[in-house]
Amino acid sequence: MDFGLTDEQQLLLESMDELLERECPESYIADLDLSHQPPTSFRKALDAAGFGSLGFPEEYGGTPCDAVTLVLLAERVCRQGLNNGFGLELLQAMDILEFGDESQKQEILGLLSAGEVPFALGFTEPGAGSDNSAMTTSAVHHDGMVTFNGTKTLITNALQSKYLLLMAKDPGVEDPRKAISMYLVPMDAPGVTTNRLEKILWHISDSCEIFLDDVTLPESCLVGVKGNGFKQLMRNFEFERLVIAATCLGLAQCAFDDAATYAAQRVQFGKPIGSFQLIQLKLTDMAIKLENMRNFVYRTAWMLDNGVPLKSQGALCKRYCAMAAFEVADEAMQIFGGVGVTVGTRVSRLWRDLRGHRFGGGTDEIMVHIAGRQIVKDHS
Amino acid sequence: MKIVVAYKWAPNPQDADVRPDGIVDLSRAKSAVSEYDPVAFELARRLADATSGEVIGLSVGAASIDTSLARKAALSRGLDRLVLVADDELDGADSTRLAGVLAAAVTAIGDVDVVLAGDSSIDVAEGQVPLTLAGHLGWLGLGRVSAVTADGAALVVERDLPGGVSVLAVTTPVVLAATADAVVPKVAGMKDILAAAKKPVEVLALADLAVPTAGTTLTTLATARPAGGVRQAVLFDATDPAAAASQLVGALRQAGAL
Repeated sequence: MDFGLTDEQQLLLESMDELLERECPESYIADLDLSHQPPTSFRKALDAAGFGSLGFPEEYGGTPCDAVTLVLLAERVCRQGLNNGFGLELLQAMDILEFGDESQKQEILGLLSAGEVPFALGFTEPGAGSDNSAMTTSAVHHDGMVTFNGTKTLITNALQSKYLLLMAKDPGVEDPRKAISMYLVPMDAPGVTTNRLEKILWHISDSCEIFLDDVTLPESCLVGVKGNGFKQLMRNFEFERLVIAATCLGLAQCAFDDAATYAAQRVQFGKPIGSFQLIQLKLTDMAIKLENMRNFVYRTAWMLDNGVPLKSQGALCKRYCAMAAFEVADEAMQIFGGVGVTVGTRVSRLWRDLRGHRFGGGTDEIMVHIAGRQIVKDHS
Repeated sequence: MKIVVAYKWAPNPQDADVRPDGIVDLSRAKSAVSEYDPVAFELARRLADATSGEVIGLSVGAASIDTSLARKAALSRGLDRLVLVADDELDGADSTRLAGVLAAAVTAIGDVDVVLAGDSSIDVAEGQVPLTLAGHLGWLGLGRVSAVTADGAALVVERDLPGGVSVLAVTTPVVLAATADAVVPKVAGMKDILAAAKKPVEVLALADLAVPTAGTTLTTLATARPAGGVRQAVLFDATDPAAAASQLVGALRQAGAL
């Protein structure tokens, strides 16, 4: 097995390092976290350097890129301490590039290249999260128009997005798998109102409730095929889980590096605390988890690149990385002691942000549901 | 305009290991385009784009400067093509020798209008090579260049000097050494990196070059660590903020910081 990087991967990571040093120092990230602002200027810099369109098809100005390289970059950006710093834009673009019409594609790609978040995913509802069949937001087609009613909640980045990629159900179709369609709804459409939700983590990404009251739009807002919304959404979920796993890996590595450096410098009882075996035990177990995460993420990406069916791999990888990364950050926090929980310490932000990945993009538990049934099926 | 960028494939200081005795150990550092050289690449690219010109990268050194990674690293930074002189006879060569080989290579390339270089190399940092190169070529050599633009067949060169910015009308051929902050170099993206593998590379044999003979050999008699700065802590009573600020300014002036 070749664990070495290609010349191209090595150079790309060096370029990313250069960009991170210039455009995304820790002071920038800490300010964004404190002021609850998105990393717009960094996103623009990523796009200007060509990173924003990595993985997009060439006909849309992108550069095709393998999954291993993409997760290497996501890991590197998050290792800087920036949550959800890379890769999610690609997922957004892919949803539209695969299923959108030409005007939707041009609109979304234009917003992405301007460093904007083009749309938020309107999926979760007060009564429907992991159980998507319980979704109640309705989409009623009539006279070339479609009218939406319902409530979405815990929608990430909607307040900074121009559109909502809305998942809504045709009340006339009984089979929930055939009832859900995907729509691109402008956030400023009449009848759309929001309520910001304050949360204790992911401060650079806003969250809100969205209320749709008789929002009526031309049917051209439909993305893809009517009734195929859930299938379309699922198509990129495997890659999303992988990007989240790489994000967790990067953030956990950042926490580990901070904790190990602190342990080497913090003197108690006349010596650095890193010389005590209890601290060394923590660092060793953290390092093992990081190595496991790295192997899991890279291998899953390699499987994608080589057309190996992922089956339960994506869910297993997401579950393991989200949980192990949080454990690493938690131990890092323990090594820092009281200093770690003070506002402004990077490790406290990493601890907060990593906690969110244990439910964002699918809970630890739903990953068991996905992987478990696949494992049983494979052995039946 | 035909522009050559003379650059060094040097150890990356991020991988440097500082020993307890203060010695900076670069033996395990991976190599990269020397830290200040991308500024020269960027100035050259802009000048070439403005004059429909060509940018040729040029590096000389031990055989290890010619690897697939080293070629792509340079070519992804806006070069049109690359010329290398890679020979272990140049391993550890001093700046005079390297400048002589560079001069011979520039002559071999032929019809060069401008040679651009970074301020200094990241590992040796003597800042000698560009002007010694100019001397070997018999061309005008200018250091501390902060901007360069075309003016017909000539150039307008700005130099950032302690006394202020000097703007010069310069005729070619010329050797220019850029300041480290002259421009912010473009970061190489995936397209640049992929395109790098397809650009032409020419390797010149050292034996085939008319390298000027050095008139003298440099002998290092001794090396010493730079003197550490004198540190002191001064506390001001801030009960009266205005008076404390005044005392702070006075202390900074006295220390020569202002």
